[in-house]
Amino acid sequence: MESIRSGAGVPGRNRRQKRINVGRSERKASVIGGTTLALTGLKSFTSKRFLPGLAMVVAGGLLIYRGKTGHCDLYQAIGADTFHSGHSGLRIEKVLTINRPPQQVYEFWRNLENLPRFMQHLNSVQVTGEKTSHWQARGPGGLSIEWDAEMMDDYPGQQISWHSTGAAELPNKGTVEFTAAPGDRGTEVKVCVDYYPPGGAAGKAAAKIAHAINAQQLEEDLKRLKQILETGEIATAEAGR
Amino acid sequence: MRAVCWHGKHDVRVDTVPDPQLRNARDAIIKVTLTGVCGSDLHLYNGLIPGMKQGDILGHEFVGEVAEVGAGVTRLAAGDRVVVPFPISCGECWYCKHDLWALCDNSNPNSRLLEKAYGDTGAGIFGYSRLYGGYSGGQAEYVRVPYADVGPAKIPSGLSDEQVIFLTDIFPTGYQAAENCAIRAGDTVAVWGCGPVGLMAMKSATKLGAGKVIGIDSVPERLDMAHIECGAQIVNYQEQDVSEALHNLTGGRGPDACIDAVGMEASGTGIAGVYDAVKQTLRLESDRAGALRQLIMACRKGGTVSIAGVYGGLVDKMPMGAVFAKGLTLRAGQTHVQKYLSPLMELVEKKEIDTTFLITHRMALQDAPAGYRLFREKHDGCIKIVMDPRAPSRRAH
Ligand SMILES: NC(=O)c1ccc[n+]([C@@H]2O[C@H](COP(=O)([O-])OP(=O)(O)OC[C@H]3O[C@@H](n4cnc5c(N)ncnc54)[C@H](O)[C@@H]3O)[C@@H](O)[C@H]2O)c1
Ligand SMILES: [Zn+2]
Ligand SMILES: [Zn+2]
Repeated sequence: MESIRSGAGVPGRNRRQKRINVGRSERKASVIGGTTLALTGLKSFTSKRFLPGLAMVVAGGLLIYRGKTGHCDLYQAIGADTFHSGHSGLRIEKVLTINRPPQQVYEFWRNLENLPRFMQHLNSVQVTGEKTSHWQARGPGGLSIEWDAEMMDDYPGQQISWHSTGAAELPNKGTVEFTAAPGDRGTEVKVCVDYYPPGGAAGKAAAKIAHAINAQQLEEDLKRLKQILETGEIATAEAGR
Repeated sequence: MRAVCWHGKHDVRVDTVPDPQLRNARDAIIKVTLTGVCGSDLHLYNGLIPGMKQGDILGHEFVGEVAEVGAGVTRLAAGDRVVVPFPISCGECWYCKHDLWALCDNSNPNSRLLEKAYGDTGAGIFGYSRLYGGYSGGQAEYVRVPYADVGPAKIPSGLSDEQVIFLTDIFPTGYQAAENCAIRAGDTVAVWGCGPVGLMAMKSATKLGAGKVIGIDSVPERLDMAHIECGAQIVNYQEQDVSEALHNLTGGRGPDACIDAVGMEASGTGIAGVYDAVKQTLRLESDRAGALRQLIMACRKGGTVSIAGVYGGLVDKMPMGAVFAKGLTLRAGQTHVQKYLSPLMELVEKKEIDTTFLITHRMALQDAPAGYRLFREKHDGCIKIVMDPRAPSRRAH
């Protein structure tokens, strides 16, 4: 059976990639419950209870859909996430609008070696293969950790997602989406990163680094990306940041 | 080099500091030849703007000569004489592209501070605290100017520094304040504050078609200047009841538009919440008559309240009911100087507007501490001070 983790992003399965945000057991229950609900709804058409019946069919269909795909628009709308909340991971999410076309922003990001130019905690990213790369991050007090990563999704101009592989010191995964902003406003860049700091003494450095990476930090990173793409340089004042 | 540095409330000093360096490819270093003291600097001087640190170089009104340019600068070359807008704007973000230069997304490295205070950031400003980026100012021999191809405008030969220096700030500020009034021919525009900004607002309102301008202040020389230079009818708020006077001057209707060229120091506003330090400073300041409240009460039904004076935080007892009941339009903000620079430069070049009448004091930069004191106290008929960074001091220290 296909595991949920790899199911999160089999490239090309559907062009408009949607994140899995429904947990495994809930997905099974969704398919069963959805089918029952839809059948009950269909039955009620015969007893002329049309509207409630229709509602049940629709709701049943939605349940089956989320069971099969692991994605629930309702959960997404209310910000709930039953897949990730079970893990002890740290999730940070940020969105920022950049006054450049999606393709251009995508291309800059897709060249992963650009990331340390705006992501403060990264020392370097080295591209090691068509889909693989080696990352080095720094943390407070001269700490440094490394990991290998693999690109999972790569939809030009739309989305990139990646996850760490092997025995990463700081297991992590992330997705960045590039969506055309309304009007002439450029691109909405939405980043979602999950870190899974390991426990125990061995994981101390990784945990420290993970905790130093927070939403404010990610937002500052995105602002630097915006500055590079819009102005070609990072705003610098005498007083420093 | 010598520079005017902030050391605390009512304490500015001329210090010797390192020369500025190019930091980014789009930077230029400007050799300052003339620099002004602005009413906005007084808010710093009076300790009302948080995010100042000892040694910060002040000044956002300056003209000079390009001394050095970064590798990415193509429009300017060493030796060019330029006037530099006070907002630092990248020229590339959505706001810059829409002529909202003072709202630039990119130029403020400390945008998170303003986001916390106001919900979003504004452009960086020269010499105007860490909130506005932490950039060194132009009350100095040299200053570093970022995005040098975007803001600075070359000065047409034949125009002196004094003729163009107010294009950096107060002329566009007065002009924007008047433009925000959407003046129709014959309108009456009342202006609170007859300082440099108020006076330029009056001149601009007339230029934009106002039939009558009214200047409100309490300083006799400033009221005189409003009357003589700007053709304004004048109201001394310490001697007259402002609302009654305006009522009588407008046939009982109220001014069609009201401009606030006073700012936070009349109305006793303050920042609450994030910047406790300021809150405390503000508690020590006496709450002077709220010009803004007066504006709102005096403005005619359906009229416009245009706010050029700087506000930093929260205003108590805003007559929101009057704003609503009279259907007023509120316009406000830092000035998008870059938008006005070239049309206003043209007015100056054609001698349609001369702003040099504002200059009452010419000083050496070295004498800045005395200048700040004079300007704050509005002594000696002081309306506008300009300083020459290289002139010898005329005072004994
Ligand atoms: N929006 C902008 O981009 C921008 C640019 C420049 C200056 N400013 C602001 O404009 C304001 C004025 O600047 P300035 O250089 O003319 O300063 P200024 O201090 O020379 O002038 C202010 C004037 O207001 C008068 N005043 C005080 N209380 C008053 C009251 N209750 N009613 C009427 N008049 C009153 C003072 O006597 C003084 O003449 C300041 O707040 C300054 O920070 C804003
Ligand atoms: Zn100013
Ligand atoms: Zn900009």
